[in-house]
Amino acid sequence: MEAQLSVRAILLLSLLPLLSLLARSSSSVSQDIQIVNAERRIDLTSHIVKVFLTLKVENIGSSPVSDIYLAFPPTQVDHLALVKAAATVGKRKKKSYLPLEVNPTELPDAPNGTKYFSISLVNPLSVGETLTIEVLYILTHSLEPFPVEISQSESQLVYYHDSAIILSPYDIKKQTTFLKTPSTKLESFTKVEPTNRAGTELKYGPYENQSPHSFSPIIVHFENNNPFAVVEELVREVEISHWGNLQITEHYKLMHAGARHKGVFSRVEYQSKPSFSGVSSFKNLLARLPPGVHSAYYRDEIGNISSSHLRTDPWKSELEIEPRYPLFGGWKSTFIIGYGLPLQDFLFESPDGRRYLNFSFGCPLVETVADKLTIKVVLPEGSKDPSAVVPFPVEQHLETKYSYLDIVGRTVVVLEKRNVVPEHNSPFQVYYTFNQVFMLAEPLMLASVFFFLFVTYVAYLHIDLSIRK
Amino acid sequence: MHVLLCIVTGRYSSRLYIAYAPLVVLGTLLASLVPVVGFNAVLTSEHFGSFLVFIIIHVVALVYYIKGILSPKMFKVAVTLVVSIGLVVCCAVIAVLVALVASSPTKGWSGRSLSLLDPTYASKYIPIIASVSEHQPPTWPSYFMDINVLAFLVPAGIIACFSPLSDASSFVVLYIVTSVYFSGVMVRLMLVFAPAACIMSGIALSASFDVFTRSIKFQLPGVKGNSQVDAGETSSEGVVAQNEVAKTDKNEEALKERPSKKNRKKEKEHVEKPSVKAQMKKRLLVLPFEASIIAILLLILLGAFYVVHSVWAAAEAYSAPSIVLTSYSHDGLHVFDDFREAYSWLSHNTEVDDKVASWWDYGYQTTAMANRTVIVDNNTWNNTHIATVGTAMSSPEKAAWEIFDSLDVKYVLVVFGGLVGYPSDDINKFLWMVRIGGGVFPHIKEPDYLRDGQYRIDSQATPTMLNCLMYKLSYYRFVETDGKAFDRVRRTEIGKKHFKLTHFEEVFTTHHWMVRIYKLKPQKNRIRGKAKKSRSKASSTTSTKRSETQRKNPWH
Repeated sequence: MEAQLSVRAILLLSLLPLLSLLARSSSSVSQDIQIVNAERRIDLTSHIVKVFLTLKVENIGSSPVSDIYLAFPPTQVDHLALVKAAATVGKRKKKSYLPLEVNPTELPDAPNGTKYFSISLVNPLSVGETLTIEVLYILTHSLEPFPVEISQSESQLVYYHDSAIILSPYDIKKQTTFLKTPSTKLESFTKVEPTNRAGTELKYGPYENQSPHSFSPIIVHFENNNPFAVVEELVREVEISHWGNLQITEHYKLMHAGARHKGVFSRVEYQSKPSFSGVSSFKNLLARLPPGVHSAYYRDEIGNISSSHLRTDPWKSELEIEPRYPLFGGWKSTFIIGYGLPLQDFLFESPDGRRYLNFSFGCPLVETVADKLTIKVVLPEGSKDPSAVVPFPVEQHLETKYSYLDIVGRTVVVLEKRNVVPEHNSPFQVYYTFNQVFMLAEPLMLASVFFFLFVTYVAYLHIDLSIRK
Repeated sequence: MHVLLCIVTGRYSSRLYIAYAPLVVLGTLLASLVPVVGFNAVLTSEHFGSFLVFIIIHVVALVYYIKGILSPKMFKVAVTLVVSIGLVVCCAVIAVLVALVASSPTKGWSGRSLSLLDPTYASKYIPIIASVSEHQPPTWPSYFMDINVLAFLVPAGIIACFSPLSDASSFVVLYIVTSVYFSGVMVRLMLVFAPAACIMSGIALSASFDVFTRSIKFQLPGVKGNSQVDAGETSSEGVVAQNEVAKTDKNEEALKERPSKKNRKKEKEHVEKPSVKAQMKKRLLVLPFEASIIAILLLILLGAFYVVHSVWAAAEAYSAPSIVLTSYSHDGLHVFDDFREAYSWLSHNTEVDDKVASWWDYGYQTTAMANRTVIVDNNTWNNTHIATVGTAMSSPEKAAWEIFDSLDVKYVLVVFGGLVGYPSDDINKFLWMVRIGGGVFPHIKEPDYLRDGQYRIDSQATPTMLNCLMYKLSYYRFVETDGKAFDRVRRTEIGKKHFKLTHFEEVFTTHHWMVRIYKLKPQKNRIRGKAKKSRSKASSTTSTKRSETQRKNPWH
């Protein structure tokens, strides 16, 4: 563990001069743009790391620029769940945000595995102009528990690795970084002067005139007892029935991804001293479900789990669930949540006659990371031309599912995404064409079977099959 | 048995043969199709009785047949001839059979069946059979709970059967008598008793209804003539047309057969029967009109209540799952889902091939719900196997650790009801573990765990009891819950409150403490100096097993 850390540190340190050299020698993209002011706020209060980056960009080159690049070290890119960018338009009170498109790109001279994201500006930035860009990116699994194993009475300490200086392909004139920790308990942090600590906030900077691809690794070691609830695998099945119901079944594989629990679990300590014992464990979770939920259930392979509460009001539904046992670091649990929704709130007809389902992507559990999320939209039998519209890249394919009385099978649109955070809970659409006549197929089939049964019986009664008269 | 009785009393008929012979053949064939039974159906001596009767009925059938075709004189000659040869053959066959049967230790009878014939057999020789609660003799309250008003109706039904004793009714009487005996020996065989009791009470009810309705009919002026005709018709349908007395009897019988077919229709009645009996003896159907009406109404009411009782019993006593417990308190329903909590924990947080040791009652549950290998389960036939676990549970910690380690056990699961008052926990079953363990390993002695013949866990308990693994695992850190360590099942404070576990560690305890799971601590690393010390200790003390495992280890 430690060896790994030091290796990484050495690696990064040795990169520093190299990076800057590289950047200076060959910089086709960089020199047109410089960042006048950069401010980074890193929120470490939960196990999902949110970074808010405000960049003031200026074009100092000779031609308009339409793409701004963000750089990430390779260790962060693997844990990057989401990058969003918006341009600030207007001033002061009239300030509004204009969302910008962000795409991963490759740059030819990327030093040492640095990965880039390009922000496409709506209007190219002309020479001499400045623009303020707000970037939000979210990192998962980036808090590394240390010590790796803790006992029941200990609280959980984690490492966060980053750079004091923002990694960027551009020159940054002035920059500051703020880190917000969940409590004032800070074991240690790397000092890169000027560094200030005030309460739960740690301030690095301001640093001035940093050259492109500068890097200064820091490690912050602090207490974080928030539930590290990670859904290793979540399969959400959305079944559309044109008889008026939308049935959702969610299969969870839940895990506590914090420091592993070691040794004894003593119930007596857990029950009598809740403030000391098992502070990093969690025993209940909150699922935010759409309004109008009915017939919700919560169970696992061995039957119903009786510890859940559903609170519904016209605007939202909240399902509070308790796994069968409190989850300590490294403990796992599986369960299934299912519920029905009224179809008219989610299924609409588009102007071109197609139907579309508008449903929210993402894991309904609050403050939870889903390592792998699979959404299966089961369309009614007989629907054609399915297509999904999702606001971020996902893997898609089609499957066929057979349910009761199906002949050709139902088309299933499968959407897969890794590393899903609550910010992914935005609506997605699945378009398809469906002829209402197919709704009658199954009742007609049943009716005709019975009809033929009776007809056969009637016929049988009227036929004399005896050989002798 | 019934067939035998019929033959002995000279009531043999071809109907009897037709009923019995195919039943035995088909029944045996079908039974041997059941995987568990297999060839046991023909190999074990429990079933010899029916085969013997099968042979006898054939002999008798043959005799009757020959009797029919031969003249009486010829018949006598034939009988002497056949009997003399037959006797020799029979003797030879029986001798072979006896020799075969005698060669097996329990004379071919399994312990379970022997405990049926001799209720004290199991507790004397095989504690494992006696330990199952289903194999205990039922208590009187359980009889009343299960059969309720049927308890009154059954004797009445038997009397009704005797009043005209026929083939059919004698069969029913035999059936009820044997089933009452068997159900008296084992609670489980209450199942056998239930249909018999239903048939009998059905008979009793129909008989009493018959009497009441007839007495009403006779007293209604205009209907009297009709009912006479009615009775006459019934009798003419019967085989013998006799006097008025025979008529009523026949009528009775015809009615009797019917309810026995729909025996599930449990019905009612009570003390009325003796009067019915008296009535039949008098052969005069003159109950007062009002009395009969009231009696019928009462009977119907009784029946209705019995239906309510049966539904209640089915819902409360027989349908409640035994792994999810509920209790009602002032703030509503409280669910104790501890078993599934523990099993689910086991299934998600232990390695797939870890083995779990527990008393065998939880074997199936652990296999099915936790998906872990168990050491003994509900279908463990090997008595030594169960005794090993029993011994481990009743040994002190170190010896138990060695036993479990030799079985490659990782986790030990105990059920403890002391915190919430769940009575069927391991401490209450513990004496059986001691007995079964002691049956195979003589160093476990039951009296060591009893103080003056009493099983107790309070401060009067014996040191053996207070140091055994089961006690320790159940009560580990229990005192910290309320400061006094008051056991709500045994209604006492426990004897030894503060102790530490050296070879086990608590890894999981459920919300209400009903299931506690312990992990075997790994063997300590031997440091040089310590190893010497422990070796010298091991050689000096009596722990031979320890040194054995030490010797074994290098060969892993």
